[in-house]
Amino acid sequence: MKKKGGYKWLLGLVVALILLLPYSNSFGGVSGKVIIFNAGSLTIPFARMEKEFEARYPKVDVLREAGGSQKCARKITDVKKPCDIMASADFTVIDKLLIPQYADWNVRFATNRLVLCYTGKSRYANEVNDQNWYKILDRKGVVWGHSDPNLDPCGYRGLMVLQLAEKYYKIPGLYERLIANRPKENIRPKSVELVSLLQTGHMDFAWEYRSVAVQHDLRFVELPDQINLGNYKYDNFYTQARVKVTGKKPGTFITMKGKSCTYGVALVKNAPNAKAATAFLQYMLDPQGGLKVLQEMGQPPFIPCRVPTAAMKALLPTELQQLVEVKD
Amino acid sequence: MKREPFFWVTISCGLVIMAFILLPLIEMMTAPSLAMLKETIQDKDVVRSIWLSIYTAGLAALISFVLGTPLAYLLARSNFRGKRLVEGIIDLPIAIPHPVVGIAILSVAGKNHWIGQVFSELGIRVMGSVTGIVTVLTFVGIPFYLNATKNGFESISPRLEKVSRSLGASMFSTFFRITFPLAWRSMLIGIIMCCARAISEFGAVVIVAYHPMIAPVMIYERFEAYGLKYSQPIAVWLVSVCLALFFILRILTIRKPKEV
Repeated sequence: MKKKGGYKWLLGLVVALILLLPYSNSFGGVSGKVIIFNAGSLTIPFARMEKEFEARYPKVDVLREAGGSQKCARKITDVKKPCDIMASADFTVIDKLLIPQYADWNVRFATNRLVLCYTGKSRYANEVNDQNWYKILDRKGVVWGHSDPNLDPCGYRGLMVLQLAEKYYKIPGLYERLIANRPKENIRPKSVELVSLLQTGHMDFAWEYRSVAVQHDLRFVELPDQINLGNYKYDNFYTQARVKVTGKKPGTFITMKGKSCTYGVALVKNAPNAKAATAFLQYMLDPQGGLKVLQEMGQPPFIPCRVPTAAMKALLPTELQQLVEVKD
Repeated sequence: MKREPFFWVTISCGLVIMAFILLPLIEMMTAPSLAMLKETIQDKDVVRSIWLSIYTAGLAALISFVLGTPLAYLLARSNFRGKRLVEGIIDLPIAIPHPVVGIAILSVAGKNHWIGQVFSELGIRVMGSVTGIVTVLTFVGIPFYLNATKNGFESISPRLEKVSRSLGASMFSTFFRITFPLAWRSMLIGIIMCCARAISEFGAVVIVAYHPMIAPVMIYERFEAYGLKYSQPIAVWLVSVCLALFFILRILTIRKPKEV
C-alpha cells in the first residue's frame, strides 16, 4: 500500500514535468521577457522592431524603457535595474559607463544628425532656411530651446551645432549671442519633450535629431554637413566644438567634444534573459530586420554594423559576429 | 481572555502594511551620510528648489481654499441634478496620469489655443514659470481639499445654521459665525492634504516647467546627472521639511479634540 502511494507521487511529478515542457527554455525556441533601455530618439523605431520581432518569436515579450542615454546607463550601474539590452544615442556613453563592469562590447549600428525643427505656426516659419536660421534664432521674441546638455546628448549636440556654426559662417561671438537669447526655462530634460512644446505653440524652434523630426511630422531646416554632426567625414571639424557638462558629482564637469551622432548597442553582462536578448540583437542588426526599420525612420544605419577592434568582435556572441565588421 | 484568530489576522495585516510603507522610507532616509546632508543643504540651488516647492504648494493650497470652500459648502448642503457628475469631475485629476495633466495644461496655455493667446497677450507665461507650476499643483491638489472640506461641512448639522438664520443672521454671517468655526479643522486637514499632494507632484510639473526647478524635479535631475548618491540627500531634506511642517499643522488640529 505504502509503495503504491510513492509511485503515485512520482507519476504526478512526471506529469507535471511533461506539462511544463513547452514552457521550458532549454527545449528549442527562445521565450520570456527581454528588457531594453533605449535612448528617447530610438523609441519609435524600437516600437516597430518590437512588433516585428514578437511576430517572429511569439513567446518573447519585449519590454522597452526609454530615457536619456545617461539615465539609462545610471539605471543599470546605480539602481541595478534588471536590463538585457542598452541602446544609446551616443555610443561613448556605453564605453564610458558600462564597459568593462556591465558590458563587454559596444556595436555602432546607426547615425543621425541635428536639424532645427519648427511648425507652420512658429514665428518666421515662412522665412526660415539654411541660410538665415541663426539670424532668426537671434531675433527678440523668438522662443527656441534644446534639451538639457547634462542629461541628454541631443542637448549638448544642439549647443555644438551653434559653436560649429560660429566657425563655419565665420561670425565671432555668434554662440554667446544666441545663448543669451535662450532663457534657461526653454531647456527640457529630453529632446522629445520639446516636440509637444512646438506643437502646442509654446516654442517656435527646437533642436532635434532628424529622426525625431521625421517621426513627428515636424518641419525642419537641414544644415550643412560641416555643422550637423551627421557625417563622420567631418569629425575633425566637429571636434572643435566643446561643451562642458556635469561630471560625476555636483560642481565637477567633463568637456564633451563634438563628433558625429553614432548609436551604440550593448548586451548587459548579467542580462536576465541573454538568450532571447541575443535573438533580438540578431534581428536588430540584420540589414533586412531592424536596420531596415531604422532606415525608414530617418536614422541611417551602418550596413554592416561596426565594432572598433577585432578583439571586441571576438567577444560578441557567435550569432552576431557575422553581422558586424571591424572598423574604427 | 483568549483572542479570536480574527484579531491576529488584523494585527498581522497591519504590521505587514506598516513595514511595507516604512521600510523603504527608512532605508532612503538613512542612506545618505551626515556630511553629505550638510553639503547638500549648503547648495543654494537645493535650498532654492525646496523653498520653491513649499511656496508653490502653499499657493496651490491657498487657491484651493479660496475657490474651493464655497463649492465644498454647496456640495455638502444642497442636492441638485448633476451633483454626482460634479463630484465625479472633481475626482478626475486624481485618476489622470500625471504627464497627461501637464500636457493638457500646456495645450490649453499654448499659442495654438485661444486661452493661451489671451494669456500671451496679457504677458502671462505658463511654460517654465512659477505660474505654470502653481497651475499644475492646484490642478492635482484641489480634489483633496474639496473632498476633505465637503466631509467637514457634511458632519455639521444643518439645524445649527437654520437656528442662526431663523434668529435673523444672513447666510454670509451664518457661514462665518457658525459653520466656519465648526469646520475649520476639516479645512485645515484639506489644506494639508492638498499641500502634501502638491509637494509630491513630479510628472505633471516636469512637463510644464523644468526650470525653475521644484525639489522633486531637482531630485530627478540630480539622479540622472549624478546618480542616486546625490539625489537622495535632497529627498531626505524635502521629506524632513515637509514632515516638520505637517507635524506642526497636525498638532494644531488635534489640540482640542472635545469640540465638534
